[in-house]
Amino acid sequence: MSSGATRLQARTAPRSAVPPPWRVGFAAVVRQGLRDRRRSVVSWGGSLGALGAFMAAVYPSVQKTIEQVAKSYPAGLKQAFGVTSMDTVEGYIHAELFSLIVPLALGFFAIRAVTGATVAAEEAGHLDTILALPISRRVIIVAAWVVAAVSAAAVMIVMGVLTFIAGRIAGTHISAGLVAAGVTGVWALALLFAGVAAAAAGALHSSRLVSGLSLGVLIGMYALDLVGRLASSLDAIRWASAFRYYGAPLREGLDVVSSAGMVAVGVALLIAGTLLFDRRDILGP
Amino acid sequence: MPIIETDQLTKRYGSQRGIDGVSIEVEPGEVYGFLGPNGAGKTTTIRCLLDLLHPTSGAARIFGLDSHAAGRAIRARIGNLPGDFTCDPHLTGRGFLRFCAEARGLDGLGSALALAQRFEADLSRPMSELSTGNRQKIGLIQAVFHQPELLFLDEPTKGLDPLMQEEFLALVAEFHNAGGTVFLSSHDLAEVERVCHRVAIIRDGRLAAVEKVAEVRGRAYHHVSIEFDAPVARTEFASLPGVTDLAVDGTHVSFNVSGPLDAVVKAAAAHTVRDMELTEPTLEEIFLTFYGRGGGR
Repeated sequence: MSSGATRLQARTAPRSAVPPPWRVGFAAVVRQGLRDRRRSVVSWGGSLGALGAFMAAVYPSVQKTIEQVAKSYPAGLKQAFGVTSMDTVEGYIHAELFSLIVPLALGFFAIRAVTGATVAAEEAGHLDTILALPISRRVIIVAAWVVAAVSAAAVMIVMGVLTFIAGRIAGTHISAGLVAAGVTGVWALALLFAGVAAAAAGALHSSRLVSGLSLGVLIGMYALDLVGRLASSLDAIRWASAFRYYGAPLREGLDVVSSAGMVAVGVALLIAGTLLFDRRDILGP
Repeated sequence: MPIIETDQLTKRYGSQRGIDGVSIEVEPGEVYGFLGPNGAGKTTTIRCLLDLLHPTSGAARIFGLDSHAAGRAIRARIGNLPGDFTCDPHLTGRGFLRFCAEARGLDGLGSALALAQRFEADLSRPMSELSTGNRQKIGLIQAVFHQPELLFLDEPTKGLDPLMQEEFLALVAEFHNAGGTVFLSSHDLAEVERVCHRVAIIRDGRLAAVEKVAEVRGRAYHHVSIEFDAPVARTEFASLPGVTDLAVDGTHVSFNVSGPLDAVVKAAAAHTVRDMELTEPTLEEIFLTFYGRGGGR
């Protein structure tokens, strides 16, 4: 160590008992969270965007074949998997990506974002360091949800833009409005599952449990919706699945009320998670 | 007013013991040692003080404020360095310190860069690429660069080489000389002995004793080992004042003696002494003598 440089200093006169405003810590945690997720936004947005762009680009060449194949499917199966209409590029991309793959992927992305900043950080001992700063636990969990929301939005914007550009270059009449509706619908769905993860993180100490439980809810809700669509007698059970309210925004446009409802449920779950997180112990590594 | 005050602080993990009825008071400007073997409850006590754990019963106050109700206000005035300090491994040291500064509402890194230069801490590499010692240096900088009034150190020298341990202890003394209060948790008595004014002993979750280090030292005894050129009778030393733990093995005699050594020296001088060794016990040995391994004094 070099000598003769800065000496350690202590504050001997008592500092004011008023800590910095909560928004100072909140902004710092959100900024840091967004910096942490930059790479994953690029990789997830790029991957999903490449998929969407590919589907949009190949649509003109596969359009007729797809329509013929789709006509051969049983009606119930077509309805269950959202293959009711593939005579538009939006209907095709919805059936191929937005009915299952993209909602599951973005839901998983959001769950991981919340879990990583809360329970996984607790297990690794990072929360011990962060919570020695004038930052409350509420700020930690709310910031985790906000970071999940912002980064999920960025992923979907990248995907939407790449899909739209590829579709236009390929000569399709892909609608910017429907693409925007599609990515917004998936985003709202993901926020609900980010809320599920926040509620689980408020109660549980294991990142595996939190991720597993949240993913279980995500897949379970999809399965519930699928079963309800396959068997008309079971259609009533779909009310418990977020996928019912998600619908098919890329094909049919955004149901604003349903999307707002999903975000509201996500926020309600976040509040529950915040209250639980505030009351439980932080166990550390 | 004490800087730190706990009143019958108790924490249980379900049916498992954490700490039980711990009551301590740390005065301003004091370097307070918190000593105990691994698993005794040192970290649990600190985690309750920092509001990471909610006590099962009892109270914890820092600066006279409830550690839970006024957690943010307290944490704005303290620094904390856990023994196994970690943060986001992708962050560089500079990135981490910048985050700490932002969270504390500071305009810039303040004295952090100068401290990093002094400690030769590498701020440019990701934390995951740093050695334990280099990571601890950054941990120390984040704990002190905002000029806290109180510093928590939980096994701060764990995993460090002897040179770095020395440096850390020197820093504790420096922080104290600058007027700061230090709460140092350790299982290493020699470490506590070096820098602390008072020491609390915690064992099996209970506070066994709180003593001034100087007073404990005052109870010191000497360990005497003498090699004679011919066997000596046990009775010659057994009856001497202050002699305990006497062992006679042919020409070799060893014992502990408290108080004046005059009688021992005169008894030894009656024989031909080939070798004589006088050693001072460590604080650890003194504590084991007074508090034993099985229970409190």
